[in-house]
Formats: sequence, C-alpha cells, structure tokens
Amino acid sequence: MTGLLLSLVLIPAAAAVAAAWSTARAVRAIAVAASALTAAGAVWAATTVWSGPYRDLFGELPWLAGIADSLVFGVLLDPLSTTLLLVVTLIGFLTVLYSTAYLSTANRGHATPDHDQPRYYFWLLAFLASMTGVALSPNYLQLFVFWEMTTVCSYALISFYRDRDGLRAGFKALVMTGAGGMFFLVALLILFVNTGSFDFDAAARLPGPLRGWFVVLLMVASWAKAAQVPFHTWLPDAMAAPTPISAYLHAAAMVKAGVFLMARTVAAGWEVPLPVALVLGGMALLTIFVALSFYFVQDDLKRLLAYSTIAHLGYVLLGIALGGLGSSTALRGGILHILCHGFGKATLFLCAGAVAYATGSRSISALGGVARSMPLTATAFFVGTAAVTGIPPFACFWSKLMILAGALELPGAIGPTLVVVLLAESLISFSWMLYVGQKVFFGATTPVAMVHKDPPPAMSISLVVLMLGCLAAPAVGLALLWR
Amino acid sequence: MAAQSLLGWCVALLGVGAAASLIVSRRRELAGWVALVAVAIAWVPLALLVVAGFSRGVPEFDVLALPSLGARLAVAVDPLSALFLAVTAVIALAAVLYSVHYMTHYRADGVAKFYPVLLVFFAATIGVLVTQDLLFFLVFWELMTLTSFFLVIFERESPASQRAGLKYFVITHAATLCMLAAFLLLWRQSGSFHLAAAREAMGVMLVERPLTAHLVLLLLLIGFATKAGVLPMGDWLPDAHPVAPSGMSAVLSGALVKLGIYGLIRVFCGLLPAASSFGWGVVIALAGTGSLLVGALTALRQNDSKRLLAFSTIGQIGYICLALGVGVACLAEQPALAVVALAGALLHLVNHACFKSCLFMGAGAVLFRTGERDLDRLGGLWHQMPATAGSTTVGSLALAGVPPFNGFASKWLIICSCLLAGLQRPIFMVLGLVALFASLATLAYVLKVLGAVFFGAAQRRFVVDEVPVSMALPQVALAGLCVLLGVLPQLPLRLVSPAVTAAVPGGIPAAGDVLGGLLGISITVDGATVAGWAPLLVLATGIVLSALVWGLQRMGGATVREVPVWNCGEEHDSGIVRYAASSFYLPFKQAIAGIYPRLSLRAPRFPSPVRRTLEMDSWLYLPVARLMERVSHSTSRLHVGVPQVYLMWIVLGAIIVVGLVMVVAG
Repeated sequence: MTGLLLSLVLIPAAAAVAAAWSTARAVRAIAVAASALTAAGAVWAATTVWSGPYRDLFGELPWLAGIADSLVFGVLLDPLSTTLLLVVTLIGFLTVLYSTAYLSTANRGHATPDHDQPRYYFWLLAFLASMTGVALSPNYLQLFVFWEMTTVCSYALISFYRDRDGLRAGFKALVMTGAGGMFFLVALLILFVNTGSFDFDAAARLPGPLRGWFVVLLMVASWAKAAQVPFHTWLPDAMAAPTPISAYLHAAAMVKAGVFLMARTVAAGWEVPLPVALVLGGMALLTIFVALSFYFVQDDLKRLLAYSTIAHLGYVLLGIALGGLGSSTALRGGILHILCHGFGKATLFLCAGAVAYATGSRSISALGGVARSMPLTATAFFVGTAAVTGIPPFACFWSKLMILAGALELPGAIGPTLVVVLLAESLISFSWMLYVGQKVFFGATTPVAMVHKDPPPAMSISLVVLMLGCLAAPAVGLALLWR
Repeated sequence: MAAQSLLGWCVALLGVGAAASLIVSRRRELAGWVALVAVAIAWVPLALLVVAGFSRGVPEFDVLALPSLGARLAVAVDPLSALFLAVTAVIALAAVLYSVHYMTHYRADGVAKFYPVLLVFFAATIGVLVTQDLLFFLVFWELMTLTSFFLVIFERESPASQRAGLKYFVITHAATLCMLAAFLLLWRQSGSFHLAAAREAMGVMLVERPLTAHLVLLLLLIGFATKAGVLPMGDWLPDAHPVAPSGMSAVLSGALVKLGIYGLIRVFCGLLPAASSFGWGVVIALAGTGSLLVGALTALRQNDSKRLLAFSTIGQIGYICLALGVGVACLAEQPALAVVALAGALLHLVNHACFKSCLFMGAGAVLFRTGERDLDRLGGLWHQMPATAGSTTVGSLALAGVPPFNGFASKWLIICSCLLAGLQRPIFMVLGLVALFASLATLAYVLKVLGAVFFGAAQRRFVVDEVPVSMALPQVALAGLCVLLGVLPQLPLRLVSPAVTAAVPGGIPAAGDVLGGLLGISITVDGATVAGWAPLLVLATGIVLSALVWGLQRMGGATVREVPVWNCGEEHDSGIVRYAASSFYLPFKQAIAGIYPRLSLRAPRFPSPVRRTLEMDSWLYLPVARLMERVSHSTSRLHVGVPQVYLMWIVLGAIIVVGLVMVVAG
C-alpha cells in the first residue's frame, strides 16, 4: 500500500523529468500515460483503503534524531486526503488530456509552438507530483515542503507564455502565496519548538494562547494560497496562464491546498479556539460577497470564473469554520465542496478554453451564439454552471446543502442567518452565471463566434467526462465522507 | 408487478427514449416518433401505477437513502399523486404527438435539444409526484425547472426566448431556494426530510415557535405559488409560455404549472394541522382572487394569441387557488364545504389541463400554418382549418365556463363552495362574487380569440390547409375530453374525491357523502341537498328546444337572406373594414393600461466607495510594491561603481563602528 501511494508521487515526478528531455511528440504520450497511471492508482488506493484510514511513516531526518519524532516522512490516506487526491489526479489526467489538443498551433486564442511543449508538461507533471504529495502528507512538515513546490510550479505555469502580463501575474502570485508560506513556516517552527513534533494532532499539546496564534498563522497562509480576502488579488491576474492551467491549478487543485491545510487543522481533533473559528468564518463570508461584487464588471470569461472560484473557496472555508465551531456536518460539507467545486469549475474553465480555442476570444461582450457551432461545449458550460451554482442534482448543491445543514446544527441565530445570506448569494451568482451563459452561447451569432465545430476529440472527451463527474462527484464524496 | 419495478420501467423507458431520440435527432420527424413511442410504452407501467394508486394506494418504499442527513428517496403513490400523474400522462402524450409535426417547422434549431430534454422533464415530473421525501422532492423539482428552462429557450436566436427563459429560471430558482430554506428549517426541528416527520415537526413548531412555523409556511407558499403562476411571483408565466414551442406551452400550462398547486395542497392540507389553517386559507384565497382578476383583465388586452392564453392560465390558476383557499380555511370548521371546495379546485385543475392544452395546441396550429400569433392579422380560418377551429371553439367555451362543457362544472363547484362558505364568513361570499363576474371577462377574451382568428376576413388572405392528422388528433381528442368531462362530471369526480380525502392526513370526516349524484353533481351538507348540477338534463332540454325552434322556423317558412356587410356606401375590402381584435376591447385596454406594470431589473452593484475599497491592488498592494521598489532604487544609487566611493563608505563605516565600540566600552 505504501508503495502504491508513493508511486502516486514518483510516477508523475519521473515523468516530469522524462518530459523535460523528450520531443514535442513524445512528451504528450508520456504526460497522458503518466497522469492516467496516477489517476488509476489513486482510484485503486481510494477503493482499497475504503475500510479505514491508512498511515505509514518511514523517512527520517538524521539531524532531527532525538529532538523530534524520528520518522517525519510518510503517507497518510484518510477520507480527507482521498478527496483531495481524487480531485488532483482525476482532474489532472483530464487536464493533461485536454492540454494535448489545446496547446497546439491550431489554437486561435494562443498558438503554442512545439518547442514549448516539454517545458509545459515538465511543470504540469511536477505540479501533479507535488499536489499528490500535499494530499498524502502525514504531518505539517511534509505538507509544507510540497506546498511550496506547488507555489513554484504555479509561478512557472502562470508565466508560461512569457508575455508581459503573464510574467507580472506569475511574479505577483509567487510573492503573495510565497509570503503566505512564510506564515506557515513560522507556525511550523512554533509547533516544532514547543512540542518537538510536526504531527497534525501535536497542536493539541500547545499551550492555549499559543495554539490560537498557531491557527491564526496557518489561517493567513491558507488565505494567501486560496486567494481569500485580503489576498484575493493574485488569482484573477493568474488567468494569464494557459486555460487548462487555470482550470487545474487555479480552480481545482492548487488553491484547494490552502483550504486543505485548514481542513487538516480543524479535522485533527483538538478544539479550535472560538474567536479564531469566528474570524475564519467571518472572513469566508466577506470573501464570498467581495468576490460576488466583482462578477458584474467582468468582461473576460476567465476572470469571471476566477472570482467565482474565490467565492467558492470561501464556501469551503466557511464549512471548515463551522466545523471548528462544532458542526461536523458542515466540516464534511466543506470537504465535499472541494470535490464538487473541483469538477464543476474545471468544466467551466475548460469550456471557456474550448471557446477561446475555437474563436480566439474570451470576451463576454464579443461572444454570442456560440452554441450554434459548438453544441457540446455549450452543454458542458450549462452543466458546469448548474454544478457550480448548486442546481440539484448537480455537484455543488449537495455540498452547499451540507454546509447549510451544518450551520443549522449550531445553536442560536448563526444558522438561519447564514442560510438566508448564502441562499441570497447563490441566487445572485446563479442568475449572473446563467445570464453570461445565455449571452455567450445563445442569441444571434456574433462575427467573432463564426466558427465551425466543437473542439478536437481530446478536449471533447475531457468535457464529457467532467460533465459526468459533475453528477457523480457528490455521490462518491457522500459515500466517502459519511461511510 | 411490484410498484418498484413499474416505476423503474417507466423511468428507464423514458431514459432509453431520450437517448434514442438524441441519436436520431438529425431526422426531425423520426426523432419525434421515437419519443412518442417511448412515452407511449412508458405510460403503460405508469398507468398501472396510477390504477394501483387509485385502487389501494402504493405503500411507501425506499429507493435510496442518505442516513447522514435523515433523507431517503421514499416513494409512494396515493390518489392525489395518482390524479396528477394521470393528468401529466395525458397531456404529455398529446403534446408529444402534437410536436412530431410541429417541430419540423423550426429551421434553425435542431430537435436534439427538444425531445431528450422533454423526456427527462417528464421523468423529473413523475419523480416530483411520487416522492415522499422533501429533499429528493426538491431535487426532482429543480431538475424539472432546469429541463423546462431549456425547453423554453428552445429558439436559440430569438432574444425574446432567451430573456423569457432567464426570467423564468431566475424567478423559479428564487422560489426553490425559499422552499429549500423552509425544508431546512423543518429539518432542523425533526432531523429528517421525510414528509411525515415534517408534519410532526410543523405541529410541534406551531406550538413552540409559531413565528418560525409561519415563516416556513410563508416560504413554502411563495415557493409553490411562484411555480403555479399566482401573481405577483407568477410574472414569469406570460413571458415563458408564448416563446416555448407550442407543444411545450401545452405541457407548461397543462402539467408544470399544476405542480405548484400540487405542492400547495401537500403543504396546506397535508403539513398544516387543520386547527390553524383558517388564516392561511384566507391568504391563499385572496391571492387566488387577485390572480384571477388581474389575469382575466390583462388577458383581455393581449393581441398575441399565446400570451393571451398565458394570462388566461394565470386567471384560471387563480380560480383553483381561490377554491383551494376556501377548502383550507373550511377544513376545521366546515369539513363538508372543504370537500366541495377542494373537489372544485382539483376538478378545475383537471379540466383546465384539458382545455388549456387544447387551446395552446390550437394557437400553435395556427402559428404552424400561418406563422402568425398576432390576433390583428389573423382571420377567416374557420373554413380552412375546420378541425383546429372546432376544437379551439370547444376549448374556448369550456374555458369561459359555458355549460355543458367541463369548465362549467368545476367553476360551478368553486362558486358554490365560496357562496356556501360565505354564509358563515362573508369574505368568501365577496371573493365568490368577484370570481363569478371575472368569468365575464373570460368569456369576453375567448370570444375575441374566436372572432379574430376564425371568423371574419383577414387583410392578408391565408391560403392554408388544415394541420396534419398528428397535430389535429390531440386537439380533437382534448376537445372531446372537454365535452365528455362536462357532460358526465360524475366520472372525474370519482377520481377527484379520493384525491381530496388523500390530501388531508387522516381524511375528512364524512367526506364520502358530500358529493354525489347519478346524473351530475349534487352537494349534500348535513344531510340536506343544497345544490345540484345535472348537465344531461340541461343538454336534453336544450336539444328539445333547439329542435322546436328549428321546426317552427321550417313550418313558418322563414327564409334567411345573406347580404354583404354595409360599409356606409364605401367600397372597401372586407379585411380592411373588419373590426380587428385590438378594436374589440379598446375601452378595457385604456382603462386597465397600468394594472400590470413591467419591471426591468438591473445587475446589482455596490456603491463606488465600497467598490474602491475592494480594489485592494490599487490602494494596498501596488503602493507597497512601489514603495519597496523606490526604497531599493534609492539603495541602489549608493552603488555607483567607483572604487574610491566604496573605499569612502568602508572608511566611514569603520569610523562609525569604532566610535560605537568606544561609546559602549567607555
């Protein structure tokens, strides 16, 4: 079992190295094979440990011997890490598959020459490896190491096109998420100095006020990584990245590492100080509405989706904060939202990418009537919209329901207030997304949208699988988290 | 066969039909026939289910469970569900048959986004009607909304369709979220989403936290009334009905809108204990009366045939709500009248499904042949489209409540219940009288439609044929149902009565004795027959009198002269001097211009200071970044690259360090 889990990190890492040295033609095959293998391995691992969590430590740092727990590296697979692992590997595979067609000279939005391909797949596979590493981390130290690796990969991929905007946005993302990482590092040191351990549950041994600061530091780190207010500004700029990257790193996977950290912390079993949980929840709510307020001024389809991602990460953190306040349903709802939102938002981004691939435009005002020539993309976009905004029976309905139900488990007026506020947000964001969807896909066909067909098979297959995922994800997630 | 497998077969067949019609969607007609066959076969198990529901009821069974949430997909069919299933099934079959040819006239839009979606919609509707669990009810409910949204926006390039669809989905989604909030509040009380648990929770809440309980009821009222098209939330309805393909308009009016009523009955008869239902009954009745008045008066002003019918639907739903309100209000004190009112509501619902679907199909048939929905430009189609004209006439008269058609029987029951209840509570008397006189407006607008479309002459002469048999047949069949249900109202009453009893948990005392009659309907309250309607007798009398008149005319040798219309001596084409549809009710039009205002929404925006605050890049990060840049820039100016200057820095630094050491040491 340990070998299988290790291979989930090693396969993509090895493939990344191989990709860097191979030709443009071979690199696609390597990337698809490696990511497919990883995804299959992750599914297998998820089914074999269905009965209970699996944890195995084996690596040690010699110079820490005697000071810390001797074994500091290993693997941990529990429902929480399985959730993230499935998101990362499945959507990772679909992203790679999609990229094989998207990154080509036929792309009207961003033609990519062949000699750039190895660089792209190197970073993408390296990211996949570091993200599975994040998911499988058994303690804060290993989590931190892989966490920073994802930051570096993210920087390289945002700046992939090497144009002015891309370089600036990549640098901005690096600075802001890197600064967040510093907070994580401080928290890690506090934990290590006081308890001599990096374990998730070691924080229980921290003295009271220090534990509060420890969680606050982790919280700041996760805000930066997950683009929460006040650190949300890097994410919309990061849309300068190639669209599959936006779908994968900046909607489904990397930003989820931020919320994953908080989920790990809150789920570790010790009591989160009440004021910290309240701040976490309050900021999540603020983030949701700040992001919502930016919907209406966006003309770039991807920027709109980026703000929607910020809002939905807010939902996850809200669920986690409610979990910190004592509602386990909300905590699991938040974790379920990681899975559900991952599939829904990846679908939307890949649709935006398909539209840009075919038409060369991402402008909401310039596009119109795209469904005429791209029915599959249109279907996928509306499925994605339904999934993300929470139209039953699609994905996010279930996770939002769990968060709301969890809120109502708490005593007092918090629950009903949250229900009102969140339902209002759902309605507004749903209306706007529907309006945008109709604007882009229906109506009279604008000159920009005069194209002839749906994207190539590799992209279409990804879209179809993601659509099915939007329906299946909550079923899998519910079974996984409530078994 | 067990109910599980019946339901499974039904849904599976619809699913197979959806997939098959998607595969053959390039051939429009074939896709239609495939869908029709799928629906027809799927309706066999559904019919068995309906029969089982009426005869002994299908006991509850679980399909799937979510124990973590206290939700399980529990399925049961009682007579109330069975009645709605039957109505949906009939309308669905007629609408699909009608669509087979109708859908061929869309040039730009393929049927791949019609039949598959329509079949999924039917499956979702069945789900809504058999589910006993609030959470899964909501899931099916919204799936139904989602699919119907795509059917409404079928015409991709028409801005009106897109706008109407957006409005429809946004308004009904808001309603769904209201329902979700209400269900969650009930769940908080009971820990389960099951209907029976919700009933208990409601009983407890009414005692312990009445405010919350009434909030829940208000949210549910808003939720269901929106779908039912009760004003003001039913504002989506007049936009969405005209733009949908006519087969779908028939389904919208005949089946979808009715599910709102289904929900209202389940909530206000099922959830709400009879003891505290009077106030809510009055609220529903008032909403219904407002709706029927505004709906009928606004329908008068319309010149678009399908839009007129949509407003008419609002009006007729108003009648149903009025009766429902009276029924709910009377449940505690006068159960016999409650039976009358609820039976009136359900009977009118059945009847409305028949005649309104027939009328939408008629309007669609005219649209199909002439391409016109504007009543002012139509005319003189009586001889060219006799089947459509005949069935539309029957449907119109039924809608206006002319005896002996079916609309009369149910409206009679509704008015009777209002007046009888009004003896104790005068408010219902007033509402009943308002409803009675609103019928006049109904009659006025159906005459306008008949006169404008089928009689007289049009400016543009239409040379058209009758629609194909597959389109005429459903219209004629529905018109035939209007006559049959009108002449023999005791037949539908036999299905409606058990549904009324099933709507109220525990039943209504002595419900079986209230409505009876071999030749029609008679109302018996406290052992005394207070009113009766025997259409067969009236019909027989009418026939005898007509024969008498005809005989007298023949005997007297009276002749009929046919002369052209006299145009004050001017020689004009009859199409020009004709009294057009918009001229019919000019006074009304001017008098009630403002009664139904239009609302245009703008995207919500924060005020600009807030927005500036939110632009954190501009006031937080970029200034910090620029400051850093400036600091490092000025630092870099020290690095001039001249060795002498560096030497000077070193000497200066050494002096300062030595000085510091001396200060510290000395």
